[in-house]
Amino acid sequence: MTTMLAGPIGPSLADFGKDPWWISLIKAVFIFVFLMLGVLFGVWTERKLISRMQNRYGPNRAGKFGLLQSVADGLKMGLKEDLMPRTVDRVVFFLAPVIIAVPAFLAFSIVPFGPMVSMFGVQTPLQLTDLPVAVLFVLAMASMGVYGIVLAGWGSRSPYALLGGLRSSAQVISYEIAMALSLVAVFLFAGTLSTSEIVNAQAAGGTWEIGGLSIPLPSWYVVMLFPSFLIYVVTMLGETNRVPFDLPEGEGELVGGFHTEYSSSLKFAMFMLAEYVNMFTVSALAITMFFGGWQAPWPISLWDGANTGWWPMLWFFGKLVIAFCFFVWVRASLPRVRYDQLMALGWKLLIPISLAWIVLVATVRALRLEGGDRTLVMAMLGVIVVVIGVLYYAFDTSRERKKKDQQAQVREEFARLRNEPTAGGFPVPPLDLPHYHGVSSRPAVTRADSKEVTSEAKV
Amino acid sequence: MELYVPILILAVLAAGFAIFSVGIAPFTGPARWNRAKLDAYECGIEPTPQPVGGGRFPLKYMITAMLFIVFDIEIIFLYPWAVAFDQLGLFGLVEMVLFIVTVLVAYAYVWRRRGLDWD
Amino acid sequence: MISAPTIEYLEIAPLLLVFGAAIIGVLVEAFAPRHLRSAFHIPLTLLAIAGAFVLTVLLAVDKTRTVAVMGALAIDGTTLFLWGTILVLAFISVLLMNDEGQFVAQAAAVPGSAEEQEAVLEGQAQTEVYPLALFAIGGMLIFPASNDLLMLFVALEVMSLPLYLLCGLARRRRLLSQEAAVKYFLLGAFSSGFLLYGIAMLYGYAGSLDLAKISAALGTVSGMDPLLVLGTALLGVGMLFKIGAAPFQAWKPDVYQGAPTPVTALMASGTLVAAFGALLRVFWVALGNLDWDWSPILWGVAILTMVIGVILAITQTDIKRMLAYSSIAHAGFLLTAFVATGGPEQNRVALSSILFYLAAYGVTTVGAFAVVTMVRDTGGEAGHLSRWAGLGKRSPILAGVFAFFLLAFAGIPLTSGFLGKYAVFQAAVAGGATPLVIVGVVTSAIAAFFYARVIVLMFFSEPAADGPVIAAPTVGTALVVALAATVTVVLGVLPQPMLDLAGAAARSLFVY
Repeated sequence: MTTMLAGPIGPSLADFGKDPWWISLIKAVFIFVFLMLGVLFGVWTERKLISRMQNRYGPNRAGKFGLLQSVADGLKMGLKEDLMPRTVDRVVFFLAPVIIAVPAFLAFSIVPFGPMVSMFGVQTPLQLTDLPVAVLFVLAMASMGVYGIVLAGWGSRSPYALLGGLRSSAQVISYEIAMALSLVAVFLFAGTLSTSEIVNAQAAGGTWEIGGLSIPLPSWYVVMLFPSFLIYVVTMLGETNRVPFDLPEGEGELVGGFHTEYSSSLKFAMFMLAEYVNMFTVSALAITMFFGGWQAPWPISLWDGANTGWWPMLWFFGKLVIAFCFFVWVRASLPRVRYDQLMALGWKLLIPISLAWIVLVATVRALRLEGGDRTLVMAMLGVIVVVIGVLYYAFDTSRERKKKDQQAQVREEFARLRNEPTAGGFPVPPLDLPHYHGVSSRPAVTRADSKEVTSEAKV
Repeated sequence: MELYVPILILAVLAAGFAIFSVGIAPFTGPARWNRAKLDAYECGIEPTPQPVGGGRFPLKYMITAMLFIVFDIEIIFLYPWAVAFDQLGLFGLVEMVLFIVTVLVAYAYVWRRRGLDWD
Repeated sequence: MISAPTIEYLEIAPLLLVFGAAIIGVLVEAFAPRHLRSAFHIPLTLLAIAGAFVLTVLLAVDKTRTVAVMGALAIDGTTLFLWGTILVLAFISVLLMNDEGQFVAQAAAVPGSAEEQEAVLEGQAQTEVYPLALFAIGGMLIFPASNDLLMLFVALEVMSLPLYLLCGLARRRRLLSQEAAVKYFLLGAFSSGFLLYGIAMLYGYAGSLDLAKISAALGTVSGMDPLLVLGTALLGVGMLFKIGAAPFQAWKPDVYQGAPTPVTALMASGTLVAAFGALLRVFWVALGNLDWDWSPILWGVAILTMVIGVILAITQTDIKRMLAYSSIAHAGFLLTAFVATGGPEQNRVALSSILFYLAAYGVTTVGAFAVVTMVRDTGGEAGHLSRWAGLGKRSPILAGVFAFFLLAFAGIPLTSGFLGKYAVFQAAVAGGATPLVIVGVVTSAIAAFFYARVIVLMFFSEPAADGPVIAAPTVGTALVVALAATVTVVLGVLPQPMLDLAGAAARSLFVY
């Protein structure tokens, strides 16, 4: 992962905007085809990998190893009847799949695949385009996708669909904040929002002077900004509505969520497509921000040619595959999180931790930049830590006290019910009736024997 | 502006594909009319009649959206600061920490008022 | 290359104090237990406002004349005078607020629901009114001081949004209060939209949002007159809405009537002063050289405002609505001096008269609304004029003070209102707006009619059998009424110190 020397640096922001239109067209078509094929292979990979993790075979009928399963699924969805229920809002119903699919594709346009190569005689970077605000563009496209979810739910004019759409979008926007915050530390280090420049910034790490030794630091941000990376991984799962955060679209909850009314026609295929493309996008963003983009990992980077020419695309694909398999692995392993726990996690845990981490990183960086006035910064940090500690302690004790009070109340209520079953106005049948326990000749249970169920079942 | 032209090309491509797919969907599949297919699906029972504007939904969704806007604007302020951090130095750090603390005051208020709780 | 900006902390210290106290108020709301909240809020708010006033006085004694915060704020004589006025008015309005019976128990409870009853029984109180008021006051401070159109807009929103919310927090007649809040919010949002559009147009014309640069561009840029005219018009719409000038006065009666009376006092005094200050700054500094173009329009607006204010006030049967229409009329009187621009000396005279009028009228208004809070019925405040009949027989002192305030509104000699009107009309005549002054005098006479009608009602009518009672005033309310009465008398009899102060404030006219 480390490169001691500044390796062959990729294209900078100035190298973009110079492509002739046909080069851009080729790259756009490539990205489009890549994403479509990626979805097809992704569906197959997911089903096979999950099934292997669950000790079964998975689809192996359609083609060798079930490779044509996704194709079969796609054909099935194409040939299914396309229903439009009477009560839906036609325009919105028609447009929602488009609104959700197009931004998903567009978000991939600024992902760097590799350095400068020569394509048909033109020196061009392996990236569709790069903007000075590239990452902001990705986040904007993700936000536009939320429109598709809400409109799909709302246009269906069915209570399940509406609530499912609202829940899904509420989850997505809650996690989007934490995602955007986790990337702020990356920008602090890289000093830019442009993806190619961020990849360049991860080419050479600094050194850590300690005890006379100068230890080379890994240049990839996943090491330096590990908490940011962890927060990003959690929000990655939350943004794309994947397990463990897939309550809005889980089978059995709210039927199908926002896509209940979309019979499995091509409209529904758009939703599935958008979900998988979103998964690829957030993975690609993670790779670009934290894993050095298209640069080769350490043992391979010792070979000088690893970061030149078309080779980096291979490293990028490899990292993308690993990220996708991580998604699938999480799906196979973790249970689903309840919706209020999910929202509590996104709002109450991730945001404060992200903000605290950003302040910490900024402070350390400021300390390093200006040698002087460390005392002010340290004093500020100390005050912040003390205040947070005091607040946490105060609220922890009050929360404990409240929990104990509540438990005491519940205990007291059950004691009262035990003594007087009709307390609280509940309709209680007479407890001294003879009980019939079925075929076995057990005697009738009298009141003295009957066990009560209490909240603290001491089994 | 030239930086955005490739995005436009990809957008046209993606939009074309999406609209094409959604457009031919009624024609590629069979169309066997059944009265039940015209109703909204509600687990097999008769669907509840919905009021014209879409009906009411719980207020907590709007609160979540409002809070998202507030924190998104905070992020919008954090991004340029993070990019220009080296040039702004200590002054920028102190100012931004004050800004974050101010937003955190509002955050603490919302938390204590149970605005972040999802019943 | 981005460099860190310079901030003159001392010059903006009053603002920092008010906003800092507001943030601490939010923290108090978040963390203090319910029974302690008011105990924290009231001293915090009052001390913050008083402290800001002291800082303003220090700045004024120091003869600060500077453009602060990289050209965003202009701290000059006018600004400091307006800050002092707003802070005094804010102080006495907040003193009115601490009467706990004014504000709703739980704003989120639907009126008439079980939760509302529960909240009232538990003795809950929506103590957020204090930090909200502080935020509004902070916005009122920035609004006349803004040297930059963007700062103007931000200050407008910071001032208005808490007020929208505060209007909906009345304890009695909650539906009326919520209706007032929604009306204020919708109309205010529309007018902010107009203002923003006007700002965009002016930016397109001048290439900069800075008032000084816009003024410079008036002379140099040519060929883009449509942008300039449109921008000025839209900007004018946005700002005239805030002072309640016709034809944008429709919100005032409903909002003043529905809002809880302390909030009405804050709005009627503070918002008017701040909005007028901002109007002065934008139209005299940025668009001052354009006055041949906007003056005629504002003549029409001033006449319309005065006429509508007094004529519609005659038909009112609710005391707060009547006071709202009278406030519209007073905005019209102020506008007569506003349009009377001329040479620098004339401008100085006009400005000092407007400043004096604002200060005098603001205090009288707060006093009048303070009296209104004290006249209570079984269902809350007695709004309808018929309930005020015979008040003079039941509590002569209170009725006498209120009559005095009404005479001050009418502009009877020996009250501050008379001297304010005299100064304003004199400046208008000197500026060549004599027709306006004639209309002003005529409308003042008409206004005297409905003021006198209330006085006659109070003193020369029989009180209703189940008439309203005068609530025993809290210390705060009594203090406010006494202070307002005193100031009205003093400024009417010995106006010279205040006139000199206003003149000194106006002497530097505006710093660029």
